[in-house]
Amino acid sequence: MTSLQKAENRHEGYAARLLRKTFSRWSARIGAAWIALLAVVAVFAPFLANSRPLWVSVGGHGYSPLLQGLTWADIGWLAAFFGALLLWSLPLRFGQRLLGLLAIILIASLIGKAALKPRTIEIYEQYREQAAQYDEVIYTLVPYSPRDYQRDRGDTGFQPPSREHWFGTEENGADTLSRMIHASRVALSIGFVATGIALVIGVFIGGLMGYFSGLFDIIGMRVVEIFEAIPTLFLLLTFVAFFGRNLYIMMVIIGLTSWTGYTRYLRAEFLKLRDQDYVQAARAAGLPLGSILFRHMLPNGVAPVLVGASFGVASAILAEATLSFLGLGLVDAPSWGQMLFQAVRFSSFNWWMAVFPGGAIFFTVFAYNLIGDALRDAIDPHLSTVEE
Amino acid sequence: MSMLEVDGLKTWLKSGGKQIKAVDDVSFTIQRGETFCLVGESGSGKSVTALSIIRLLPERIASHPGGAIHFDFRRRDGETERVDMLRLDEARLCQIRGLRIAMIFQEPMTSLNPVFTIAEQIIEALRLHNPEMPYAAARERALEALRQVQIKDAEAKLDDYPHRLSGGQRQRVMIAMAMACQPDLLIADEPTTALDVTVQAEILRLMKTLQKDRRMGILFITHDFGVVAQMADRVAVMRRGKIVEQGELDTLLASPRHDYTRALLDALPENLPRPDHPPPASENPYIEVRDIKVWFPVYKGVFRRHVSDIKAVDGVNLQIRRGEIVALVGESGCGKTTLGRAILQLIRPTAGDVRIAGDSIIGLNNRQLRPYRRRMQIIFQDPLSSLNPRLTIATTLIEPMAVHGIGESTEERIEIARQTLETVQLKGDHLWRYPHEFSGGQRQRIGIARALVLDPGFIVCDEVTSALDVSVQAEILQMLLQLRRDRQLALLFITHDIGVVEYISDRTLVMQQGRVVEQGDTAQVCGAPTQPYTQKLIAAVPRMPENVYRRAGACQ
Repeated sequence: MTSLQKAENRHEGYAARLLRKTFSRWSARIGAAWIALLAVVAVFAPFLANSRPLWVSVGGHGYSPLLQGLTWADIGWLAAFFGALLLWSLPLRFGQRLLGLLAIILIASLIGKAALKPRTIEIYEQYREQAAQYDEVIYTLVPYSPRDYQRDRGDTGFQPPSREHWFGTEENGADTLSRMIHASRVALSIGFVATGIALVIGVFIGGLMGYFSGLFDIIGMRVVEIFEAIPTLFLLLTFVAFFGRNLYIMMVIIGLTSWTGYTRYLRAEFLKLRDQDYVQAARAAGLPLGSILFRHMLPNGVAPVLVGASFGVASAILAEATLSFLGLGLVDAPSWGQMLFQAVRFSSFNWWMAVFPGGAIFFTVFAYNLIGDALRDAIDPHLSTVEE
Repeated sequence: MSMLEVDGLKTWLKSGGKQIKAVDDVSFTIQRGETFCLVGESGSGKSVTALSIIRLLPERIASHPGGAIHFDFRRRDGETERVDMLRLDEARLCQIRGLRIAMIFQEPMTSLNPVFTIAEQIIEALRLHNPEMPYAAARERALEALRQVQIKDAEAKLDDYPHRLSGGQRQRVMIAMAMACQPDLLIADEPTTALDVTVQAEILRLMKTLQKDRRMGILFITHDFGVVAQMADRVAVMRRGKIVEQGELDTLLASPRHDYTRALLDALPENLPRPDHPPPASENPYIEVRDIKVWFPVYKGVFRRHVSDIKAVDGVNLQIRRGEIVALVGESGCGKTTLGRAILQLIRPTAGDVRIAGDSIIGLNNRQLRPYRRRMQIIFQDPLSSLNPRLTIATTLIEPMAVHGIGESTEERIEIARQTLETVQLKGDHLWRYPHEFSGGQRQRIGIARALVLDPGFIVCDEVTSALDVSVQAEILQMLLQLRRDRQLALLFITHDIGVVEYISDRTLVMQQGRVVEQGDTAQVCGAPTQPYTQKLIAAVPRMPENVYRRAGACQ
């Protein structure tokens, strides 16, 4: 199919046109730039904020404590990043790229998990104590790990921003900026995984409902209504109470309760599309159902779903932040919402714990909304009449 | 002095950073009591001219770098003032719009506001221009206006909402609204294009009567020379924003001077060289439809009781041999499209039998139907919506071939697709484009190519030319005839256009309310119809006068 793909590159397809229109707006570009920055920060978090020095040399023998300290999760993130760069530079279909990326992440994480010994205890202080012995040492930008509580520094606890800690420290004395950098992983992954789960379920059920309509549609719509009646936050609270604080359970629950919106969008689109002449033509040509649904209808009906998804990512991030703010988030892993919680937890109002993580949440949610807005305008035929 | 004088009008439209000269130096005049027809193909700038006169173009995209539109504005105090529409402020324009210049649009279904009653809409227009008029008097005037446009039972219709009215009735209401303030100039932009021929004939007759009563000027915009021949006193032919020729109706039709006018007249189905009608390849029918019925159930009440059926197709018999073109004519809603889709099993018929080359295909599931799908294809009316905007032409053409196992490899299928595109007179490298890169006529050719790649024996052509300009229509029709000859195709040609039927088909079926009311050889059905419905239908078709210019070699 190489000649086909070459041709699709030469002439601008619908997806390319949509992207061009979306990102011709400054608001969408700014939003995308913020998300891209966040992604880079999340991927390279251990290289940006780590108590382990990037490079040390002792008596002519040089090594990198940082690389030694990488975990399987770090390997997974790096694999995802470079895998995505590789796959998107090759001429592949979107589905192939997506599957390839998932495979790369899975394999890299498994290899990392098998090959790297998990350390039960991490003594961050040693690198500062041994600093005098190093001949040469290169630190990361923020020389503190997110769980480096700096017991060696004596009086740890809340400290306002200073030269030492740009964004201050949290209740245990860990560096806030470092925690924020590492927390961007939670924010990104919960948004994408939860929305991804919701999209898969929503698109599948919505597509079938719209295409078959009739009885299937009636039953499907009742299921949608049942799921819409479930309050996500209370379900999350219940699950946290029963199963403990697990990020993956949170992702799955947010995903399982938020697919109904996408179902409704896609159902409505498919009800409209099934009577389009090109769908009738596909039926008249005897094409298999899978092709009619996923090749001829889905790409034409998916745009509103994508708009919904970009808002969905934002609301998943907010849901996690809400839980963490209520003190029901992850225990020790850094998260923006949990840091907000610390801002008001004690008698004093620790403004730096509110401003910086709160700002990060605000800008991330805002960025997704900007992209979603631009996407919605790009697919709106009423706004594009002047151009065409 | 003429009532309206358009002098060197230029209208430029901004579009994606570019300036398009939509109307470029157009001049004409309209006298009182005269009908002036602007005729041209789509995109020729005729509608933009009309909208420029009444100043309804959005100002952020439209500009008038030159020209003047002089209009005799009869003020409410009785004085007549010569104004230039292009240089009036919005307040003055509002006094003229609706009161002295009124407009009716093509699409009656969307030009009335669905949330107001007919009375409210007419009265609003009346009282806007006559603020001192009491409500009761306005209502009286509205009723009178409805009676004038010959709406039956006008008093009851007055308080109806638009959805209760048929397309023809709505267009009458639109005319009533336009006429209520007794305008001096009526601009009618394709007012009958969306209507059935019988309704069109009534509306045209009505417009003429009203014009005679009021000595009103009409600017009539159309693409249909038959309508022009009925309505116009004078005609102008527009092309790419310019008037290429204008003159008295009779002179222009009898001896057109400009090449483009001649080309347009040549392209009319009645002016095309008559095709030969070769005898069918075999006497056995390729497609045989027996007593087919498509009923849509109607449910009512809480328990969804099955109360009745809408009989879209109610017992139709039909046989088509290979190499034969059968036309199916009828007005909108008669069930002709449903019949076409029911034959292809795109809609499952309620009862009856469909046989293709002797095999019954009723009751087969999708998998069993697949081998038959290859043999019967469909071409659609709207060339825009019949192609998947997300796929290249190559993908659209190749996928069905792959499903049916035509061609060994993708490369071979691409070659077949390339040849098919050349058959429909497109270039082979058009394969790599997306549908939005083509014009309407080109898209229709691609639609035909999609049907042809499977090498079918039978094709349903569902109003394939009604969205196209006459010149493109002529090319498509000739191509279909050529394909019929080359491939021995059996065609079911669904249309509402009698002119096209007379040109292309061997046999004709006339449908009304789900039933076939008359069938036979085309010459007999169209020339000497026996059923009253067919007679009415044929009589309503706007015809060109006898003395019109004929293409050399065109036979009667």
